[in-house]
Amino acid sequence: MSIREGLRYGSLRAKWRIVDALIAAKQRAPVDFDGGSDRFGYALLIPGVLLVSFLAVGMVFLAWYSVLTYDTVEIIAYEYTLANWRDLIDTGTFYTVFVRTIMYSAAVTAGCVALAIPYAYLVVRTDRTLFRYLLLFGLFVPFFTGVIIRAYGWLIILGENGLLNWVLGTLSLPTVSFLGTPVAVLLGLLQYLLPFAVLMLTPAIASIDPDLERAAKNCGANQWQTFRHVVLPLARPGITAATIVSFTICMANYSIPDLLGGGTLSFVANFIYNQVFGTLNYPFAAVLSVVLVAVASSFVLVVFKMYGTGTLGVEVDEA
Amino acid sequence: MSLLRRFGGDHPYLTAFTIFELAFLILPSVIILVVSLGSGEIISFPPTALSLKWYASLLAQPQYVQPFLNSVIVATFCTAISIPIGIVTALGLNRYDIRFEDGIQIYLLLPFTVPLVVSGFIFLIIFGRLGWIGHLWAVGLGLTIINIPFMIWSVASSVNAFDPTLEDAARSLGAEEIQTFLKVTLPSLMPGVISGALLMFMLALNEFIVSLIITVTDTETLPVAIYGAIRGNISPQIAAVSSVYVLVAIVAIVVADRLVGLERFLHT
Repeated sequence: MSIREGLRYGSLRAKWRIVDALIAAKQRAPVDFDGGSDRFGYALLIPGVLLVSFLAVGMVFLAWYSVLTYDTVEIIAYEYTLANWRDLIDTGTFYTVFVRTIMYSAAVTAGCVALAIPYAYLVVRTDRTLFRYLLLFGLFVPFFTGVIIRAYGWLIILGENGLLNWVLGTLSLPTVSFLGTPVAVLLGLLQYLLPFAVLMLTPAIASIDPDLERAAKNCGANQWQTFRHVVLPLARPGITAATIVSFTICMANYSIPDLLGGGTLSFVANFIYNQVFGTLNYPFAAVLSVVLVAVASSFVLVVFKMYGTGTLGVEVDEA
Repeated sequence: MSLLRRFGGDHPYLTAFTIFELAFLILPSVIILVVSLGSGEIISFPPTALSLKWYASLLAQPQYVQPFLNSVIVATFCTAISIPIGIVTALGLNRYDIRFEDGIQIYLLLPFTVPLVVSGFIFLIIFGRLGWIGHLWAVGLGLTIINIPFMIWSVASSVNAFDPTLEDAARSLGAEEIQTFLKVTLPSLMPGVISGALLMFMLALNEFIVSLIITVTDTETLPVAIYGAIRGNISPQIAAVSSVYVLVAIVAIVVADRLVGLERFLHT
């Protein structure tokens, strides 16, 4: 017997020992493991539910912090007050920042979904393997490259001596400075969110029967009409999901407004961060967080109510 | 036009438009790779002579080496603990008759509904009260919480595709329950587990805002270190660090394609 075979045999034996020990332990355990027992099913859910509880408990903490008193030395004093909520109404900056966040998010979401539909459509429908592979590559490279790296890429492109100005210069056009302007922030956010939107749309488009499109063509519809009256309505679950995902991620973004907005175009996330680390005003940051969660979730709820959960619904069929 | 038609098939205009989008999507990543190969002290266009000197200078920079190691540890931690949790949660939801199942599913989506900056603030409060801030595993725990739905989704799609009669077959051939699970159920869930694990690893490796809030100097992860450096100046050295990410992303895509096929990721 060679050493290699010996090792294999040994490891196989060890494996069986472990399995046997497990079986023995199981038989001795006082719990009923029979397939039918639903109690075991609940036990399986415990770790996941516990993990997420951090956030649920955290939301309760935030609600509690939001009515505590801010103290410049102790950070929080355990005295109840509504002053933080009154600050929310009185602070004009907050209003500007919130409206800006929502407007930008709406614009970016609309752009994202519009750009994602043709992309997702071709990813699903193209019959050219290489082209499809390129499209997937273009989708996953940004998806797997973090937001900071991509914001940095935009800094290089849009900067004073950046790619864009070099191209404009060689074409003898006047140079521009986009950094710190809404254009830079919008471009950055659009590029950041487009992969998410495409990923949400592809399952919906993949589930459209291509025969329906052929049927529309046979009935005399041109490509645009087929797209408008067949593909678009059937892709609605995907559009819903893409809208929700883009909007909520966009609303909570910190890095792109921070790095590309030049400090003048902050979003709610930047505002919260500055409260936490700038003035250490935890209670006011808690108020802002609660409001941000409320706005984001009511948006999601309204869309769910109007259009259903789309492709976001966790598809867990009962076996 | 004829070229376009040859390449774009039935949808020439759509194809042309999509190629623009493709360029838009990969431009920031490509530009980082290009700039990182320059030899000048500042970033300028057109790039000057090619050189690898910025890459060579990285290894001598503790400023990036430690955060890089931290990021790898955190991402490994996330992947390791999310795999068993993902498997049991997906099986529990799918196989058993759970009351309030819809409620539990919505509850498990909480990490997606709470904005990341708020999640970070929550961890700062809770971990701070528990005295966990400053531990690397706490960063890993935080990142696991915010990304766990990806893992659950991914495994759940495999559980749905699995034919439970295979288990009955194994059982009727005399396999014990645990043997059935290890030899039949688990292997057929592997595609979902692998794609979920890959997602968890890559997302944790890249995560920024939560890490920014809950890390301190010792536990700083690479994206946080890069962010700090960008705010200082945008030397080509940062491009070299960043291009490590772009290269890792490309490797991850190739690995994902080899192991489970990229298409799989479209359905999770």
